[in-house]
Amino acid sequence: MRVLMEVKNLVTRFHTQEGIVHAVNDVSYTLNERETLGVVGESGSGKSVHALSIMRLIPMPPGRIENGEVLFQGRDLLKLSAEEIRSVRGAEIAMVFQDPMTSLNPVLTVGTQITEALKLHMGMNDQQADTRAAELLELVGIPDARRRLKSFPHQFSGGMRQRVMIAMALSCNPKLLIADEPTTALDVTIQAQIIELVKRLRDQLGMAMIWISHDLGVVAGLSDTVQVMYGGRIVERGPVVSVFKDTRHPYTLGLLKSLPRHDMRQGGEKLTQIEGSPPDMRITPKGCPFFARCTYRIPGKCDVEMPPLVSGEGADPEHVKACWVDVRTGAPDLAQEGAMAR
Amino acid sequence: MTMTMTSAAREKSIKMGEPLLQVRNLKKYFPITSGLIIQRQVGAVKAVDDVSFDVFKGETLGVVGESGCGKSTTGRTVLQLYRPTSGSVVFEGEELTTMSDSDLRSRRQRMQMIFQDPYASLNPRMSVGNIVSEPIRIHKTIENKAEQQEFVEALLQKVGLNPYFVNRYPHEFSGGQRQRIGIARALALNPTFIVADEPISALDVSIQAQVVNLLEELQDELGLTYLFIAHDLSMVRHICDRVAVMYLGKIVEIGPVDEVYDNPLHPYTQALLSAVPLPDPLKERDRQRVILTGDVPSPARPPVGCNFNTRCPVAIQGVCYQEPDPPLIELSPGHWAACHRVV
Repeated sequence: MRVLMEVKNLVTRFHTQEGIVHAVNDVSYTLNERETLGVVGESGSGKSVHALSIMRLIPMPPGRIENGEVLFQGRDLLKLSAEEIRSVRGAEIAMVFQDPMTSLNPVLTVGTQITEALKLHMGMNDQQADTRAAELLELVGIPDARRRLKSFPHQFSGGMRQRVMIAMALSCNPKLLIADEPTTALDVTIQAQIIELVKRLRDQLGMAMIWISHDLGVVAGLSDTVQVMYGGRIVERGPVVSVFKDTRHPYTLGLLKSLPRHDMRQGGEKLTQIEGSPPDMRITPKGCPFFARCTYRIPGKCDVEMPPLVSGEGADPEHVKACWVDVRTGAPDLAQEGAMAR
Repeated sequence: MTMTMTSAAREKSIKMGEPLLQVRNLKKYFPITSGLIIQRQVGAVKAVDDVSFDVFKGETLGVVGESGCGKSTTGRTVLQLYRPTSGSVVFEGEELTTMSDSDLRSRRQRMQMIFQDPYASLNPRMSVGNIVSEPIRIHKTIENKAEQQEFVEALLQKVGLNPYFVNRYPHEFSGGQRQRIGIARALALNPTFIVADEPISALDVSIQAQVVNLLEELQDELGLTYLFIAHDLSMVRHICDRVAVMYLGKIVEIGPVDEVYDNPLHPYTQALLSAVPLPDPLKERDRQRVILTGDVPSPARPPVGCNFNTRCPVAIQGVCYQEPDPPLIELSPGHWAACHRVV
């Protein structure tokens, strides 16, 4: 596997009137070619802001990327000029957003919006661009594609608009597709259509993908690697089966336990709930951001020192987590301590 | 909080109990008008189209379906927040559809609603204490100010909020806490029946379980009956005793949750269940999905024949495209489905 992108020590903050919001705190990971990374987290966990930081789409001010490197095929995206990053966006890294209703321009035809990128990045003329745009609409399963190019966004349903967004994202054969909650606004039967489509296209075109979602089910079915974020940090990360079946972080464990399953009888028990609310991102805790809500916490340890992101005792070496405790026993994790000592 | 009634005992009481709410042939059509000055009606959106069901005392009936299927309109029409086009709604033995507005107002003490959006459903200029006590002041159930205050504080405690918060304003609270305020307001008049319209879909995953657990505790403690409107099928299986599946304004399947989830009869229910992803990578890998093609047709122009025939993977040539929409048929005790295939 060849490395496509390396994110190193990414820190993004927003300087607002109410204080500094620490949205992304020291996020580092590697993404391989053709790998699908699922990023899970709640609102405010930093999952979207981290993706926007990679694309340099953070509104500045109030936002600022304070630290870090994003090496995409060896080039640091954070050091590129505005001109240079524009040639990367859409061409090499494309993004699909949550709301297909607001991310399309309502006064331009769909054809105009798709061909824009083709003319800009690929240097096509009108005719070539139109032909390619029709091909793309066909690729994403929009019937009668050539005629539909002349339609406006409001003439499409929500699911169809998201297909148009995907067609636009794929127009320049990107090496990486970042999808930020692309199915959250859609109904579940339409979500299933879009996921099926994306899986097919990913395999067909050999793209790497970062799929951001709060839905553990969607991520389970789609990802090679899962990354759980909380309080602007990666708290657990690893191969999808290992993370779901050999869960090592109390937050991930809590989320999985709190989800009822529609394929199982419920037996009248109550759901296991995570107490408290998500953290205030204006305050950076000294220790673990999940400390206040954690049932495994060790006072005096967890609230004082942030645990490093390392592989737990007896876990898949690719599977890392940031927690002082071994959730299987509730005792301190020796591997974690060892990593700190080193 | 202790469980005063186990779910098994509750199931029993539901079976023996009589319906708290009876809905028969309920229709709600919204007119489509044309013309700028003289508005002529040129059609109708059949948001709820001939829906009948019972809700038994102490149970939770789930209503699921995709956006635009009429589930929220059903909830609102049951409460007479929308006056129905036709049909009957009998609540605690009284017909609501023909009742005057002033009579209805007094019945509203017994039936309340919890809304989806905890940000839009609380007045930002009212303190929490005022929001929760407003129904009490309108209905004059407690006249004494000091008693009111005491009651509100007890209510806040009951929904898991610090009573010390009475003088704070909605913007000071998180989504989950706001939803608790909405629940406290719904409980202020000691209702027997609550319509919860997507009460958890705007909340973070880690907060959803908290609110669902609270709703269940309150049900056990106060003997509440819920109409739980949702699109999250997993949560519905957990919280509901029975479930009704709606498509394009009609109920296509209704029955006890385990029956419907383990043995879905209508092809729409089957597709809906197979579309919900499971948080289990191994199961997801081997799952065979029924992927529906296309979108839900417009409720202003429903298809001829069965409503589902434009997307149905097993539609029968002829029958499903010509015969009128199939009626609900009871196929096993309490489990009804409306499909030409299952007869």
